[in-house]
Amino acid sequence: MNRSLRVLSLFMTTALVLAACSSGTATNAPAESAAASAGASAAESAAAGSPAAGGSITVTSLWGGSEQDAFQKVLDGFQAATGITATYQAQRTDYATVLQTKITSGSPPDVAIMPGLGFLRQFARSGGLKKVSDLGIDPASLAANYPPGILDPGMVDGELYGIMVKFNSKSTVWYRPDVFTKDTISVPKTWDEFKAALDALQAKGEKTPLALGAKDAWTLTDWFEEVYLRQAGPDAYKKLFSADGDWTDPTVATAINAMKEVLNEKYVTGGIKGALGTSFTDGIAEAFSATPKAVVYFEGGFVGGIATGQTNTALKPGETIDWFDFPSFASGAGTGAAEIGGDEIAALTTNPGVKEFIQYMTTADAGTIWAKTGAIISPVKAVAADAYPTDLAKKEAAQVAGATAVVYDGSDTLPAAAPDMGAMLQNAIQGQDLTGLLSTFNDGVKAAWAGEK
Amino acid sequence: MAAQPHPAASGTSVRFERTKPLVVAIFLLPAAILLIVFMVYPVLYTLRLSIDRGLGGNFTRIVGLDNYASLFKDPTFIQAIVNNLLWIVFYTGFVIGLGLMIAVVAMRVRYETVIKAIVFLPMAIAATALAVIWEFVYQPDPSVGLLNAIIGFFHGPALSWLGDQSLVNAALITVGIWGSTGFATVILSAALKGIPTEVLEAARTDGANEFQIFYRIIVPMVSLPISVLAVTLTVNVIKLFDIPYVMTHGGPGTSSRVIAFQMYIQGFNSGQFGQAAAVAVVMLIIMIPIMAFNIRRFRTSAVV
Repeated sequence: MNRSLRVLSLFMTTALVLAACSSGTATNAPAESAAASAGASAAESAAAGSPAAGGSITVTSLWGGSEQDAFQKVLDGFQAATGITATYQAQRTDYATVLQTKITSGSPPDVAIMPGLGFLRQFARSGGLKKVSDLGIDPASLAANYPPGILDPGMVDGELYGIMVKFNSKSTVWYRPDVFTKDTISVPKTWDEFKAALDALQAKGEKTPLALGAKDAWTLTDWFEEVYLRQAGPDAYKKLFSADGDWTDPTVATAINAMKEVLNEKYVTGGIKGALGTSFTDGIAEAFSATPKAVVYFEGGFVGGIATGQTNTALKPGETIDWFDFPSFASGAGTGAAEIGGDEIAALTTNPGVKEFIQYMTTADAGTIWAKTGAIISPVKAVAADAYPTDLAKKEAAQVAGATAVVYDGSDTLPAAAPDMGAMLQNAIQGQDLTGLLSTFNDGVKAAWAGEK
Repeated sequence: MAAQPHPAASGTSVRFERTKPLVVAIFLLPAAILLIVFMVYPVLYTLRLSIDRGLGGNFTRIVGLDNYASLFKDPTFIQAIVNNLLWIVFYTGFVIGLGLMIAVVAMRVRYETVIKAIVFLPMAIAATALAVIWEFVYQPDPSVGLLNAIIGFFHGPALSWLGDQSLVNAALITVGIWGSTGFATVILSAALKGIPTEVLEAARTDGANEFQIFYRIIVPMVSLPISVLAVTLTVNVIKLFDIPYVMTHGGPGTSSRVIAFQMYIQGFNSGQFGQAAAVAVVMLIIMIPIMAFNIRRFRTSAVV
């Protein structure tokens, strides 16, 4: 008995020592990666003697399939332009966790393209990312390449870490033009016209004209963001999705109540409960399949590709599928504004080739190659409108280029640790008490912002 | 591990104990190393992580019991625990009840193997695939969803099984029951075969009716396999993740979240690995009495 206790205590001690060692490694990691990059810069100075051609870097993101093929064309263009090989590593699931692990272990990829700003901030503050200025690129020199507001999401604590390389508009309401024409309904510009159009569709026999795929809760966050942006204006919008945001402010409840004017049993296909059991792609199918039950579906510019490519290949842009600007509010401060969701490129090392790659991604050349694949809208101003292969994409690029203000997807801006905004809105559209919901949500968001520091 | 030398100490092989302790240690070493690396160390690591902020899975700052405090203040976590309790009661209850019923009834017919094979079939499907299949069955659109198509055939209103807070947990638990009943059937059917026919014949001779035989003889005689099943199923429920993750992602709102799902969200979605580790420790604490019960049960029955 005695011995077994002694053996056990030995095991315990060993385990504790091991645990202690591992925490040691974790804290040592930055030093190690610093050493690694010191080694790399030594390699750089060694390589400086030889011609700039050659070399290779790794780029990671979470695209696969056709998105990956499209991005590969950009990488090929980079190699043709600079002679540097950029190898793409796909990380389709648990992206941020795997990236964090690679940073901690001291072997990060050279460049990462990441969705969501919560993780960009987290990596920047934990020292995993290099500033754009650390690469020898002057951030001020980039501003002229982009419309105003595009570089803002990549700033962390006043320093530029990330640069947006692709985006989609989120201010697009998809509809079936043939039904609008048949029922002699004109495209609504204001919220009141939008409601009138839904009523008119109902009067013409479309029982539930508005499709909604709220089982994927993020569709509701986009609804909220669009309404809030147009009611309260871009400044209030940016404030709400910053550390100073107050979710108990009456403007928030006003926006949710406005959402509920259309997201209710009267208009939504299958009712609210039905919509909560319908996924994002099934929502698209409700409006655009061969046997549609709805006429209107709101979600970002990427709906076009999914609807025409997967849901129903017989769709004809402009005839059976098209979109209009998200309607504006009569007394709203954000008329003509656009919301976008996009991906940010950031450097994790200063290895040779990284500077060249980041710089290349800000050029019209890279933007044009990528835009031609039809996979993305490029934020680079100099990408010509005719680079886009379809009318829908051309129109989407023009909408954002001509917007009075451009804001970034708010729910992607919130800290990763914030409570689930989509789940909160799922509860809200089911008629739960808004005051209580928003006060709980506000506490959680405040704590998450405080926890980021 | 520590319990292993115990039979030796109890006196049955004193000579072995006294003369070759080193041999014992050497023989135990490989298993001990594996256990330490893959069991003890991760548990200690998780305990350590649960009192840390643990941003991104690293030890960033010790926060004491803050993670646990905020856990029990979080209505979502309380909801997850309540949902797990619902699962334990209804999933475990129905799986054992249906399993026993099917096993008893099937034993009395000639095509027993066919019935058992059919009931056991869902066990061959991966839980994720099972969830995807049932997601289609539950679709609110009657032209896609089988269940609503059936309701529609009888002119009932289409129900949104996964979009209605009052239905969603029942819908998910049903999927779990459908997937596990075959397991219970096979185990219990084997146990039933172990009941000596003499006992049953004696009871019949004494004038017991079939219900009395079921409640007074069959149920007590398979009580050990039933309790083993109950423990296994309960442990499965506490670890449950795949069905809610695939079918509802914990929604609508947070109404179908379970503890393990909460752990996933805190860790991999929010990057709050300290919080996630605290959830894991709570799960471990819930498991301990169940495992202790299980081990004791095995020991006592082995003696008898």
